[in-house]
Amino acid sequence: MSEILLEVKNLKKYFDTPKGKLHAVDDVNFSIEKGKTLGIVGESGCGKSTTGRVILRLLEATGGEVLYKGRNILSIDKNEMRELRKEMQIIFQDPFSSLDPRMSVSQIIEEPIKLNKLIVNKEDRYNRVLELMDLVGLSRRLINTYPHELDGGRRQRIGIARALALNTEFIVCDEPVSALDVSIQAQILNLMKSLQKQLGLTYIFITHDLSVVNHFSDDIAVMYLGKIVEKAPSEELFTHPVHPYTQALLSAIPRPSLDKRSEKIILKGEITSPINPKANCRFSNRCNYAEDICRETEPSLKEISPGHFVACHLFDGSK
Amino acid sequence: MNDYLLDIENLQVQYVTDDGTVSAVNGIDIKLQKGKTLGLVGETGAGKTTTAMSILRLVPHPPGKIIGGTIRLDDTDIFNISEKEMERMRGNIVSMIFQDPMTALNPVITVGDQIAEAIMIHQKLNQEKANKKAEEMLELVGIPGNRRNDYPHQFSGGMKQRVIIAIALSCSPKLLIADEPTTALDVTIQAQVLELMKELKTKYEMSMILITHDLGVVAEVCDDVAIMYAGRIVEKGSLQDIFLTTKHPYTEGLFNSIPNIDNRKAELKPIKGLMSDPYNLPTGCSFADRCDYVMPICREKSPQKIFFSENHYTECHLYATDIDFKLGRHQE
Repeated sequence: MSEILLEVKNLKKYFDTPKGKLHAVDDVNFSIEKGKTLGIVGESGCGKSTTGRVILRLLEATGGEVLYKGRNILSIDKNEMRELRKEMQIIFQDPFSSLDPRMSVSQIIEEPIKLNKLIVNKEDRYNRVLELMDLVGLSRRLINTYPHELDGGRRQRIGIARALALNTEFIVCDEPVSALDVSIQAQILNLMKSLQKQLGLTYIFITHDLSVVNHFSDDIAVMYLGKIVEKAPSEELFTHPVHPYTQALLSAIPRPSLDKRSEKIILKGEITSPINPKANCRFSNRCNYAEDICRETEPSLKEISPGHFVACHLFDGSK
Repeated sequence: MNDYLLDIENLQVQYVTDDGTVSAVNGIDIKLQKGKTLGLVGETGAGKTTTAMSILRLVPHPPGKIIGGTIRLDDTDIFNISEKEMERMRGNIVSMIFQDPMTALNPVITVGDQIAEAIMIHQKLNQEKANKKAEEMLELVGIPGNRRNDYPHQFSGGMKQRVIIAIALSCSPKLLIADEPTTALDVTIQAQVLELMKELKTKYEMSMILITHDLGVVAEVCDDVAIMYAGRIVEKGSLQDIFLTTKHPYTEGLFNSIPNIDNRKAELKPIKGLMSDPYNLPTGCSFADRCDYVMPICREKSPQKIFFSENHYTECHLYATDIDFKLGRHQE
């Protein structure tokens, strides 16, 4: 039945800084079934983008395992990784800086096919580019234009076409619609959804926008300072958030409606430094429910109902 | 007697460039009462920021040029006063919060001095008194006063935005223009800053223009809403008018484009196509090419304002013949 495509175990990524070790990703665990979307949400600096990059080995992990189709890709060599990259791709946030301004649309989309010697015949390659443009809804007349001539929505479509150019099965989408206007954002989200259905793609969807992630993902993981604090199916997470941080995050979303004026939970202070963090709950200094145990020991991720995980001392049975 | 703090009539602004003329603002009217907050909503290139810059008379010239209309601010026609008089109004009567707190502050001057600068210029206080006032302003926006000798890089994004709010409010302006004040911030910090702005607005009985693309933020803070598209206000009304009895197809399209956080199964209905080229706006309604309800007349004649109540109007041909026309969104 459901086949696990990607499994992440105890993933860690630390950066060395003059002040000490910055724990960007600290012991993260999750798995994604084939054809599903995992949303990773959190605020700036929580490690969500780093997680995406470490999974694709765009950054080397400090520790842990990334099992793709059962194989730990953190330990394979360069050539094997190059093979795997044909299946694992990324879509970047900013369609203004992620495309080479000196390459035309056809060259940008063609490049990965050419480099990986997927289609050697020039004419076949040209046809494949046209096919990809049709797939992502780029009009064929744009084939010889350059990125600066196009608006953000079209540029993001180029980024998607390029990510799909190989035998892609898995895509890390790093804030793919954050730079776009709402009306264009909806066009791109709908496109990505229909491509997923059509091609059976598996996504990791990284974003800070909670309404987008709710709309788009099957499961959602909430990150705070390098840790997953709560993970659950989207419906469950939005109807029964239990971690105090998730609750505050959800209540902080400005809702475009006049009814449902729920009381906002306003958090005190701001995110603390991820450099040399103490071994306690990293949210404890902003948490309204924090007790001594929260400041002293680190909570682990526990399943409180099927599929619903939370890392909080309020729920670990010690209370 | 005029009880509007701000009264813009038929404002038109163009940018003349080598590639042609961009009609950024094409005849808009805005009236704002004391103590009220107006949300100016629209997408990139709708003319929101140009409108704001016109109120401060800060449209860069060249290439920008105000080609028509009047702006009365606190009973002064600001297009008919000298630059010196305008300088006196900026900060005292009207001030602005810019979108990006990371670039709006001077990196080599302490935040305290940056706040004190505005106070010294406008309120003619000496350094010592200005410093004291700067400290008070910092406390007001929730930053410990003893941090006034710190430099901007020592503050986080949310705190920098608080410093900017402190500068903008330091001379107690009557009108505050906030250009996407929370767009660059995380949601939990955004909630803090919005809360602070609401609080200060009531405290000082300030009027505010909030420029944003986020209808969620609008619902939180605004009394009135103006929806801008291609340099026109296509619909304007109270918060209730816009949210509950949406009239313009573009406003409807904006609502349908936002993922509904309380119903994740709901399908997104994006607005088709792209905003028309501002170098070359079509005759008739600028939204016609993207509109689901388009009629032949839309491509021929610009629509006139049609009023549903004293305060609620839209510019759309749909209601010219049938004032009771209903958009799809409300039939559900």
